[in-house]
Amino acid sequence: MRHANYVMNTIVLLFSLILPVAVLAAEQPEIVCIQCHSTMPGKIGEPVNLWRGSVHAENGIACNACHGGDPSDAANAMSPARGFLGAPKEKAIPAFCGRCHVGVHTDYLASAHGRALGKGGPTCVTCHSNHQVLKASLDLINEKSCTRCHSFERARVIKAAMQETEAMIVGIDARIKAYKATGTDTDKLEKGLFAVRNRFHTLFHNVDVEMVKKESTQIQAELKKIEAVLQGLDDSRHKRKIAGAIVVAGALLAAVFVHLLRKTYE
Amino acid sequence: MALFKRVIDWIDVRIGARDLAQKQVGDYLLPRNINVWYSMGSILLFIFVMQIVTGILLLIYYVPDADKAFKSVTYIMNEVPFGWLIRMCHAVGSNMMVLVLLLHMFSVLFMGSYKGPRELNWVTGFILLTLVQGISLTGYLLPWSQLSFWATTVATNSANAIPVVGHYLVEFLRGGKLVGPATLGRFFALHVAVIPLAIGALVGLHLFLLERIGVSTPPFGLKETKNSWQGKEFRYEGHPGGIRFFPNYALQDLTSIAIYFACFLGVVFFDPYLFFPRDAFLPANAFVTPAHIKPEWYFLANYQTLKIFPNELIGLTVQGAAMTFLALLPFIDRGPERHPLKRPVFMVCTLGGILLWLGLTVWGHYS
Repeated sequence: MRHANYVMNTIVLLFSLILPVAVLAAEQPEIVCIQCHSTMPGKIGEPVNLWRGSVHAENGIACNACHGGDPSDAANAMSPARGFLGAPKEKAIPAFCGRCHVGVHTDYLASAHGRALGKGGPTCVTCHSNHQVLKASLDLINEKSCTRCHSFERARVIKAAMQETEAMIVGIDARIKAYKATGTDTDKLEKGLFAVRNRFHTLFHNVDVEMVKKESTQIQAELKKIEAVLQGLDDSRHKRKIAGAIVVAGALLAAVFVHLLRKTYE
Repeated sequence: MALFKRVIDWIDVRIGARDLAQKQVGDYLLPRNINVWYSMGSILLFIFVMQIVTGILLLIYYVPDADKAFKSVTYIMNEVPFGWLIRMCHAVGSNMMVLVLLLHMFSVLFMGSYKGPRELNWVTGFILLTLVQGISLTGYLLPWSQLSFWATTVATNSANAIPVVGHYLVEFLRGGKLVGPATLGRFFALHVAVIPLAIGALVGLHLFLLERIGVSTPPFGLKETKNSWQGKEFRYEGHPGGIRFFPNYALQDLTSIAIYFACFLGVVFFDPYLFFPRDAFLPANAFVTPAHIKPEWYFLANYQTLKIFPNELIGLTVQGAAMTFLALLPFIDRGPERHPLKRPVFMVCTLGGILLWLGLTVWGHYS
């Protein structure tokens, strides 16, 4: 029995070594929500395919995380007794999403968009879509989307004010990752960027142009502090290379010197 | 200087140090046609000493505990003055040691220096190769990174293919069913104590044999290139009229060491990450299997061999047979000829073997 367990463990271990994680994830049994809905036509089956292309699916957030219910029991999957919530009414959507996205919910409610909730204003799904939930990025602020409700002029100014900061964040993130890949302790830098990025993301739901500009300036000042630390690392690496060139040249000179010295003994 | 001379005099009158040095280095004669390949051994000794020194320095801050090992290595790399340099020297040095050891063995192979009476030199050298591979493998786990953890998991798992005792062996190596803190403890003890002592002892034996038997004459530039030893009685191969070890060849050794050192420092300062994939700087996580874990370059051929055959047992058997053949080569190849160009079968087999090894290594890298 012990041997049989061991063989099973070994097989599992071998497979875990051979197969990439993504493949293992794909081979996990699907939850009952997807098993049933994916076979259904039209509006009932549609959310499954939409969800598959969402940021939620990318991060393993499945149907039950939002809609509740029991994803392991087909018979009672949609039972209110098992916590099934169904689809929220339009006015309840921000609170529905805000159970997880607490900070964003607060920011939204404080914004002009949030204040217009229930009075024809947009909810989360208006911009981020439902089921095929899109990752928060500046690309979501675009003429096509914004002009469904109002002109794009103000949004254009806000987006322009944020674009420079976004580019800085992306650039700094790439530099931190590159240093991390060489054994540099980037923990403080990562935490610093995480905090600044979160602060920056709170602006995504703000439609006050002046405030966005003011905040962006302050955020950029914080980012420049991180850039200064990275510049220090760049300088240190550059100095190491200069020192390296000197010692390599020294070793080669020593080789030439000893070689010539040997010649004198021949 | 006067003080230094007095100290030497003091030692000399007690143990005859000058006489010993004169006999062992000054009057030690080497063949006149000796070449640069004979300095590979000195380079290896230099690397071994460098590994010991950098290893001891790393030991000051390294913590062999699964919860602290990765952090301690990160601390060494980022906080300890010149810690990055010491670690890089140790890591790059381990790779260089294998590379130079292979070059040393290839030169011995091509010059036929493994032939009688030097069978034991070859065998001790071959054991040293396996010990160096062993110390590299055990050292690989110590940083407790994703690369360390999963490469060790794959490597130790290979033993599972051995019939009957395979799974016991895996558990023995790991100190449990899976790689974990017990594995780290075992590998640490092997890496810093058991294997270095074994290498030191084998190096001593290797040098003792060299001293007793004498340096072989290279087969190049000679009319008679056959091995003259009949195997009937002990013979010290002296080289009357040869060149002195000190200062002549010692200076050649120093030249080779300096050139090696320049190359080594070039890698350390300009591309130390040549031997470090990205997973080498992520902490070990038993629940996240990296997609493409590969062993070190010198194990890639072994790794690929295991993948070629339908089951690991055949792969291991083939590797074991090849290693045994190589270890026992002096007892198999008993012909007297030493010049490689006068040994066509040997040349074809050796070059074929090297090309096969290189091919499997490249295949393993890209597979």
